[in-house]
This record gives sequence, structure tokens and C-alpha cells, in this order.
Amino acid sequence: MRASSLLSESLAVLGKELTSELRSRVALNAVGLFALTTLIAVAYQIGPYKIEEADRPHLLSALLWIILFFGATSGLARVFVKEEDARTAKTLRLAARPLAVFFGKLGFNLILLLGLESLVVPLYCALMSYTVEGVAGLVLVMACGAVAMAASSTMVAAIIARASGSGTLFAILTVPLALPLLVVLIQGTKAAATSAALAAVIPALRAIVSLAGVTLVAAVYLFPVVWHD
Amino acid sequence: MICFAAVTRVRVSFEKVGKRFDTRTVLAQLSGAVEPGRVLVVAGPNGSGKSTLLNILAGVIRPSRGEVRYRQNEEDIPRARWFAHLGVAAPDMAVYDELTAVENLMFFARLRGLEARPDSIGALLEELGLGAREHGRHVGTYSSGMKQRVKLAQAVIHEPAVLLLDEPSSNLDTAGHDAVARLVDRFRSRAAVAVATNDPREMAWSDARIELAL
Repeated sequence: MRASSLLSESLAVLGKELTSELRSRVALNAVGLFALTTLIAVAYQIGPYKIEEADRPHLLSALLWIILFFGATSGLARVFVKEEDARTAKTLRLAARPLAVFFGKLGFNLILLLGLESLVVPLYCALMSYTVEGVAGLVLVMACGAVAMAASSTMVAAIIARASGSGTLFAILTVPLALPLLVVLIQGTKAAATSAALAAVIPALRAIVSLAGVTLVAAVYLFPVVWHD
Repeated sequence: MICFAAVTRVRVSFEKVGKRFDTRTVLAQLSGAVEPGRVLVVAGPNGSGKSTLLNILAGVIRPSRGEVRYRQNEEDIPRARWFAHLGVAAPDMAVYDELTAVENLMFFARLRGLEARPDSIGALLEELGLGAREHGRHVGTYSSGMKQRVKLAQAVIHEPAVLLLDEPSSNLDTAGHDAVARLVDRFRSRAAVAVATNDPREMAWSDARIELAL
């Protein structure tokens, strides 16, 4: 009866998410608007010259991730709530394997985050005169960070959608998942900004990959329960 | 061409099923079965638990007490495989407004491992009374009756062995009701069908009936 593979089903969910989003642009507008507004506010109020040279690497790294995190949160949380709101969740629940839904939605959130990073990071570097010594290290931190953040946000988004779409619950659940991740992402970004050597970001990358791995393994076991019960 | 699986015969039986929401009892000690080759009609006033019973049979909500069993050739079907045998259309379900009718059905077919082509999907939509001119429009621009037709099409696209229909003719005109009647007739011989309704025309489809009371 069920000849499709998990990969094929996940890609179908991802394709549906991308098509829906390109036509409605709800998440794109929310994420883009939130991130650009925060970025411009930070650039206008702080700018490139109001921070001491010695403080620049860690303060600018922290500010960058605050902008990315809040921009992303406005869009990532919606992936399951929109299914409940549109009454498509039950239709999807009856047709797709839970893990196909999770990986399809995770893929969509990952693409959204990578798109956000591609837009915000160059603009931020230009507006804040943020020089990065190790560009390859920064790209790795951004890519792994996007995977980890997308995994935790997708799981939390599923939980809140089943709890009647409470935005407050999203915030409460995201803090313990996002805080350790944000700390290591800021450390990794700071390391990439100050050193051209790839070895400088390795400790942070290890922590980011570990957090992503733990979140993904937990999601594989927890998501079917959250999705169906 | 949609590659249909071989016809499978699945029986859904429920024994002393009850459901409580907080302090309110919606269903109590209800037993029966949805048999292959027969149409079970679940009737009763609003709030009597018709939709709740169908949701319990579908496996999307758990009963507070009692047991539901899904059996194929006298063997239990594991929950992980049960949804592959099931087709459902209900008022609390929808298809995607941003996609066209054909895109919606292609999506659900792909999730169910079917090789569906636009022309075969078009034929199914036409069977339900949705003309070819409408197939390329986004579902969000459809009337409620047209959306109901797409919803019914997603419920049967995989030729399910069990078909659960909650108020299947809601929002449909006479032609739409006739199309649903033909669909139920087509599935009567090959599947186990349950219909929750208060519409006397739909009650006439019954081979067996459960009357729920408030």
C-alpha cells in the first residue's frame, strides 16, 4: 500500500511548504520585516563607531545573533500553527507519516533561516563595519547554527500548535532550547571574527553540532507522539 | 494513471466505546462495526457525538474507554499502517488554499505513495463534479461546495479500504449530492463505509444504522 519512502514524503511536504509560502509570503514577510527592522534599529542606534574596538568582536557577534534569532522566531513558529488554523492539520495527519511532516517542515525552516542569514549577515557586516577574519569559519557556524535552530524551532512549533497555538508557550519552551545554542553560536561567530584559522571555531562547532544532534534525535522520538496525541 | 493498490478488506469494530470531554460525556458504551461491503450511517441530533465517533474510528482521537480494532484478514493492523487504509472527509478538515485542486491531490497522492498524473486526477475531480476549467485555480478562490468536492477527492484518491465521511454533502448542490451518492455506491462494494449525517437523503444509503441521542 505505502510504496513511498520517507525521503519522498518529506520532499513532498517541503515542496508544498515552499509553494504555499511563495504564494502567500506570510513567513517571508514576517521574517524579513522583523529582521530588517531590528537590523536598522541596531545600526541606527549603535552604528559601527559607538563600541570600543576591544569589545567589538563579542558585542557585534551577540547583536548579530539577537537580530537573527528574533527575525527567525517570527516565522519559524508558524509552520504548524498555520496548519491548525487552516484546518489542514488533520488532513495532513491522516495522509503523511509523522517524520515526513517533521523533516519537510524542518527543511522549510532551514531554508528560511539560511535565506535570512544570507540577507542579514552581509548587510550587518556593511552597516556595522563588522570585519570577519575567518569567513569559512563563519559560514560553517552559520550553516550548523541554522540546522540546530531550525530543529529546535520546528519541534517547539509542533508542541505549541497542539497546545492551541499559544505564542507564550513558544517563548517559554524556546528559552531552554535556544539559550545554550545562542551562547555557543555567539562564541563561534566571535571566534570566526577574530581568527582566520578554521581551528578557532572548532570547539563552538562541536557544541553546535552536538546540540543539533541531540535535538534531532529527541525530535525523531517525540514528534510522532506530539503530532498524533 | 493512478496506481491503485489491490482491493483490501478491512473491518473496523468498536466495543463499549465512550468519550468524555472534561465533565461532559459525549459517547457511552457504544459498540458496533464498519463492515466491508456495507455502509454504516451514524445519525443523531447536533452534539450527540457523530463526529466524535468518526474521529475515534479514524484514530485521530482516543476513546476515554472501550476499544477500537482494525482488522484485515483476521489480523490486527498496527496503528502505523492503519492510516494507509483510511480515507476521511469531515467538516474539520481542509485542503490547501494556496494550491490548485490538482496540486493538492498530487501532493496527497505523493504522500500516499501513488504515481498520480494530472489527467487521472482531473478525471477524479470531474467524477465529483469539478469541471476542468476549475482545476488550475487556487482552492482559496473556490466556493465552499467546490472545496468540499476537492476534500472528497483527497479522501478517495488512494482507493481506501475504509471510508469515513462526516456530512459529505454539506455545502453541495443537488448535482454535488448526486456525485457523492455515486461515489458512496462505488465504494459500497469494495470498502467499509461510515457516514455521519442528519440528511435524510444520505440516511437512505445505509445498510446499517446507529442512532445517537443527546
